[in-house]
Amino acid sequence: MTGSSRPPFPLRLLWFWFLRLLPAWLGIAAVIFLMQIAIAAIVHDNANVRTFLGFLRLLPSIVRTALGGDMLESGSMTALLTVGYQHPFVMFLYMVFAVGTPTGLLAGEVQRGTMELILSRPITRVQVYVCAAILTLVGMFCLVMVMFLGTVSAVHIYTFSEPIDLNLFFRLAMNGGLLASTFGAFALLSAASLGRLYSAIGVAVGFLTLNYFIAIVAAWWPRLEFMRKATLFYLMYYSDLWQQWPLGNMAKLAAILIGTVIVGGIIWRRRDLPL
Amino acid sequence: MDMASVEIRSLTKWYGRSRGIEEISFSIEPGEIFGYLGPNGAGKTTTIRCLMGLLRPSSGEVRVLGQRVAPGQGTQHERIGYLPGEFRIWGRPKARSSLGMLAALGGDRGTAARRKALAERLELNLHRPVGDLSKGNRQKVAVVLAFQHQPDVLVLDEPTAGLDPLMRQIVLDLICEAAHAGAAVLLSSHDLSEVSAICGRAAILREGRLVEMAPISEILQQGEHRLKVWFTDGALLPEMPSADLPGVRIVEREPGILHIAYQGTADPILKWVGQFPVDRITTPQTSLQEAFIQYYQQQPGSINRAGDDLRGQRS
Repeated sequence: MTGSSRPPFPLRLLWFWFLRLLPAWLGIAAVIFLMQIAIAAIVHDNANVRTFLGFLRLLPSIVRTALGGDMLESGSMTALLTVGYQHPFVMFLYMVFAVGTPTGLLAGEVQRGTMELILSRPITRVQVYVCAAILTLVGMFCLVMVMFLGTVSAVHIYTFSEPIDLNLFFRLAMNGGLLASTFGAFALLSAASLGRLYSAIGVAVGFLTLNYFIAIVAAWWPRLEFMRKATLFYLMYYSDLWQQWPLGNMAKLAAILIGTVIVGGIIWRRRDLPL
Repeated sequence: MDMASVEIRSLTKWYGRSRGIEEISFSIEPGEIFGYLGPNGAGKTTTIRCLMGLLRPSSGEVRVLGQRVAPGQGTQHERIGYLPGEFRIWGRPKARSSLGMLAALGGDRGTAARRKALAERLELNLHRPVGDLSKGNRQKVAVVLAFQHQPDVLVLDEPTAGLDPLMRQIVLDLICEAAHAGAAVLLSSHDLSEVSAICGRAAILREGRLVEMAPISEILQQGEHRLKVWFTDGALLPEMPSADLPGVRIVEREPGILHIAYQGTADPILKWVGQFPVDRITTPQTSLQEAFIQYYQQQPGSINRAGDDLRGQRS
């Protein structure tokens, strides 16, 4: 290697990490996929819809808000199908992957001492970071696409009494993927900045949870409505997503995502690792 | 003129307000085995991590194979074999798989045969998950990792830790063979017998500063020397006039025998001993361990002549 040459991109590290993540990713993807089928199995039948709505009315109002709020009361099958996209369990699974991947790959390898071995080979720190970023962001986006595939499959498996607009679900999925990847980027920033695995997990989970609960509480309690803009969810839920592609909000989310990834990369490159 | 394989100039690293290392300078030539000694916390690992570009130095410069080390850039890492002091590797994959992945990073090829040969020599089963291996066998994995790509520079932090004497010898042989083939070796070790056995030169680090750097034979001479004096049967052991013999002390008294330690020339002590009925005198060889301990028994600031020399060289 000459003075100015850069080591080749470490595809073997990417592959090694990919194989390590794959079982967890497949497990989460399978559950998210099956959730969409299960929701469709319930809502495709009018009798079931009535029972389902009755069940929803029994739930505390804040839980109903978390599941979609007033939108569900219309009884629209399209609206009911979106329950599978914003169910707290689905959100939890996304959070597990968004937080677990970058923290496990960066802070986890540092804490285990294996980062020292990786960085002792011809590989730059930035390349290591890029590998973690690719797996986090692409992994998150693919999970959302699996969710959309679940809806597509459900629409083919079950017959609905009203037409289901799959374009709407595709828009939802693309925006959801962007939102989920942005949360993944914040977890990446946390993992790149903090030395200990559990500190990185704690900060990332705290950020996600805080965003989620502010979004729910602001939607549920009118007096706190002003807080809704303080969360990343605002850029997805309070847009004209149901009618068209919310390009403005998507651009904002993409800018936040890219900015966060870059800041994380700069911190990761410059700081001393507690090897 | 041959270029030094490793060159460290005025290297300083501070962790916030805590000292890591200060003004460290040394170089290692191709084919040289250089011992790097110091107690825990002296700064050995900090130096090594700066050399590997894992830490960003506060000041100073590190060059490996002629190229300035840029932190986090993997400078010349395809030509460096690194064995960290605290070797930890993924537990679930097989040793072969993890070693293969690490060898392949950066496009390295052709290490499989060498890896297999090393494993056979070290009696290591590469087909078992590392998590199932004993501590000694994990250390063998670390040795294979460092040597598998036939590096030009070896940075070894406690390479024989946890190995049995037989394996320890094999690892020392591997290090010597690599040096004979032209590799420069930085050997950090607490096992001073192995350092004195294979290193040509050594540096001693104390509280982040280099206090000695010299050929091993010179380090051994700079410490206290020993005399064992047998007196003739029935002779009383004499009392030593400490005021007349500065730097001389009696280490141990046995019936008819005195163990004497002295610094500098033996002339005054021989003249004093000559006044008594001496049967015979032997000079036990000073071990590196004794020399090493003496460096650490002295107070900071009054280290030694060599330490002053080092500072003089830098200025």
